[in-house]
Amino acid sequence: MKKALFILAVFVSSAFGEVDNEATRDVLERLALAGKSEQTGVLAELAQLGDPFIKEFVDAWRVGEVFSYEISDTETIVLQRVSENYRRLSNDEVIEIPNTESDKVSKIRPSRSLRRELKKITDTIDLASPDVGTRMDAALKLGLSQRLEYMESLQSKFEAESNARAKAAFEEAINIIILANHQSPEELNQAVQRLGELKSLPGRDQISGIQTKAVEEGNSELASICSTALRQIDNRQRTIERWGNLVRGLSLGSVLLMVAFGLAITFGLMGIINMAHGEFIAIGGYTCYVMQNIFASSFGEQSAAYQWFFWVSLPICFLVAGGIGYGLEKGLFRFLYKRPLESLLATWGLSMVMQQLFRLKFGAANVQVNTPDILIGNFDFWGIALSYTRVFVVAFAGFVVVMTWLLLTKTNLGLYIRAVMQNRNMASSLGIPVSRVNSLTFAFGCGLAALAGAALSQIGNVGPSMGQTYIVDSFMVVVVGGVGNLLGAGISALGIGTVDQFLQPTFGPVMGKIIVFLMIILFLQWKPGGLFPTKSRSMDD
Amino acid sequence: MKLLKKLALGLSLFALITSAAKADDTVKVGVLHSLSGTMAISETSLRDILLFTFDEINAAGGVLGKKIEPVVVDGASDWPTFAEKAEQLLAQDKVAVTFGCWTSVSRKFVLPIYEKYDGLLFYPVQYEGEEMSPNIFYTAEAVNQQAIPAVDYLLKEGYEKFYLIGTDYVYPQTTNLVLFEYLQSKGIPVENIGGGLRRDASGEVISAGKYTPFSHTDYQQIVAEIKAFAASGDACVINTINGDSNVPFFKEIAASGLTADDCPIVSYSLSEDEFRSLPTKDLVGHLGCWTYFMSLDTPANKKFVSNFQKWLKKDAPSYVQKEGRVTCSPMVLSYNGVYLWKAAVEKAGTFDPDEVIEALWSGVSFDGPGGTVKTQPNHHLTKNVYIGETLEDGQFEILESFNNVYGEPFLKGTFLTEDS
Repeated sequence: MKKALFILAVFVSSAFGEVDNEATRDVLERLALAGKSEQTGVLAELAQLGDPFIKEFVDAWRVGEVFSYEISDTETIVLQRVSENYRRLSNDEVIEIPNTESDKVSKIRPSRSLRRELKKITDTIDLASPDVGTRMDAALKLGLSQRLEYMESLQSKFEAESNARAKAAFEEAINIIILANHQSPEELNQAVQRLGELKSLPGRDQISGIQTKAVEEGNSELASICSTALRQIDNRQRTIERWGNLVRGLSLGSVLLMVAFGLAITFGLMGIINMAHGEFIAIGGYTCYVMQNIFASSFGEQSAAYQWFFWVSLPICFLVAGGIGYGLEKGLFRFLYKRPLESLLATWGLSMVMQQLFRLKFGAANVQVNTPDILIGNFDFWGIALSYTRVFVVAFAGFVVVMTWLLLTKTNLGLYIRAVMQNRNMASSLGIPVSRVNSLTFAFGCGLAALAGAALSQIGNVGPSMGQTYIVDSFMVVVVGGVGNLLGAGISALGIGTVDQFLQPTFGPVMGKIIVFLMIILFLQWKPGGLFPTKSRSMDD
Repeated sequence: MKLLKKLALGLSLFALITSAAKADDTVKVGVLHSLSGTMAISETSLRDILLFTFDEINAAGGVLGKKIEPVVVDGASDWPTFAEKAEQLLAQDKVAVTFGCWTSVSRKFVLPIYEKYDGLLFYPVQYEGEEMSPNIFYTAEAVNQQAIPAVDYLLKEGYEKFYLIGTDYVYPQTTNLVLFEYLQSKGIPVENIGGGLRRDASGEVISAGKYTPFSHTDYQQIVAEIKAFAASGDACVINTINGDSNVPFFKEIAASGLTADDCPIVSYSLSEDEFRSLPTKDLVGHLGCWTYFMSLDTPANKKFVSNFQKWLKKDAPSYVQKEGRVTCSPMVLSYNGVYLWKAAVEKAGTFDPDEVIEALWSGVSFDGPGGTVKTQPNHHLTKNVYIGETLEDGQFEILESFNNVYGEPFLKGTFLTEDS
């Protein structure tokens, strides 16, 4: 959208025949062509301008859309590529490059150090951005550079700022600069104290450095101010961590719930030990990949329709995996209902066959499923960041659980399913088409697994062995929740996810997981049936 | 049972006769890589480049007038299988040399076999050092040819906080311990080295950094920690995560809003070949450090890349993947290894491993795609080291190069003693 606006703006301005920011464009052109030694001078000139166009150009420059063109032996100009057209930087005219001259055009890139200097300039421009978040980020970045030269613009922006959060960020930045550039000990004390009150995380390292020095120098007043400030900051850090753990636990729990929910139906309700469950998850991931390619080839990757590929894939994943599941139930699984050991081996073999099929069809390497634009980005809620893809997984897991619950409790099919699962023979004698219900239930479970795979394609890998990563977790969730109980699966997934996230900061991911497993073993000793054991009088299942 | 035995005997006799018929004009060379399992993604490329190199050498007349006859076996990403296949190559096929292994643990499994049969193995993938078998030549990057130059570059760029993260096995653990010592010797205080420390009973640090298992998928917690660590704006991350866990890691980093400008990540296990299955747009601006980049602008490299592409189109066996292929450092180090072996054989005038090793000791050099490489008496190579920045197309832009870096496998404990 931004790009479209920009093109529009360019179009409008070129329609008038000239550009209104000639001076900026001139400086940028000189900067792009400047040698390393000349850059410093041009940068200083650029810093005076404060034109928002600088930011647009720098962004284009960084992603490789800027070229130099030797128009004659003595003259080189700078071009910017905007949607396949080359535009001359100095006057924004579209330039046609004859084929014979294509070797005179070469991509130019800003060096790392130049980019860092440019970032400072664009951050100064960002201080006036209409977006609060951008303003805050820019202020903190300038503050952390601890250079006195930004003080003035930060001060004036601080006084003019009306948004409370942004105002705090400006104040934080100003005080961090003071830490390194204070005129008197009182000023330093005040800055430290203020940063403590603002609970400034970026300032923490600086303050702890000052504290160490103060202790060495025997400046007990400053040292005590520092330790108060550090305590305030650490308190905030801990609160963020605690809430963050909860949010991340919810997100991990939703992933576990998604992958385990299909299994809760096939293993939990039907009693089939399906080792190939993970491969049905992979079917979901690969279906998204295939759909993405179909959309890319029929609409083009830049089109608006392409953005829909993921949403269209979701029902298709469900149908594809459901169909395959239906066929496999008819051809394989129905012979295994009362033979758990054979079913363990047969489904394990099936899992290997399916993995090899993925490898033959899609190659051994992982494939990439793109994220639709709408899911790119993240929430930042008082320091707890959660990406939109993770928010989507949480919401989608909720949606799937509700739909499944509705299906099982509010439809005839659901009634049949519950009847067959409770007592197959009795249901059969009452005229319920048991074998059809079995096929449909199994297909439904496989469809749910594929939905999980589609959701996972947004946060992880899609590859032949992706299912293997999740199969153990899936069984773990179902067993802890209580075999045959969907509510139990939900609670156990969220519980395991949260416990894991709370253990990780202290024990690390490896030990954390080991402890989770130990806790599960102990829990199952205490409650062998899981959280919600199935109470049944029938002995035959 | 008897029938089976007879059949086996017959078959092996047949094999013996056919190999004897060919033995006059060929020399057998082993290729020991995982062609199935988790490591297949990376190691298959090394098999491909080796087959290409053999074809190139054979077309130019072979080695000592003999054509190379590759014996390709599959280690199957399973370490005991590696040992078994190595034994098969040495005892049964009697190969003159083997090119192979990727993970350090597979190398540790085959090492005793090569020492027992007095064979010769060329090992091409960057590793943690602390090893020097008389029967292995390490064309790989030693720690001072990858990890340390990268850290030097970051220090020069003004970064003061280093977060260490890796997959939980021998290479990341050892490399990070060496880096932990190195960073301290450069004046970085312990609290500025992130990821956590583990000490043994005597208080000595036995593990530095954060570790996740292979195929780990949930990096939320770690990325939150990195974000807090990088809040001060002068932090960078040293990433030794191996394999496909890099995808969820970089996706989580991108989603957290941390950019390469805020906190660059230098990855030691991601080369152009791995980028084929990674979301490169999430990696733009992050760093890599290798002894070869495909984007190297030298005539030797251009010729190498185009010859490889030509071979893929025309001469490659049907099972080799043809589309979207790139070249990367482990591939080039495999390629260099074959040519170094050829040069050493020609110098020694025989295929006998003992004499070839002696020739290698004396210093054999080869002008490879990444610049000249030269063998050292300590079984490593002197070579150029490059630091690059990832671009959107999965290539690196070279930021800095260090010429003729001497490979030094034993680094642990050397930095701090120098200081004190």
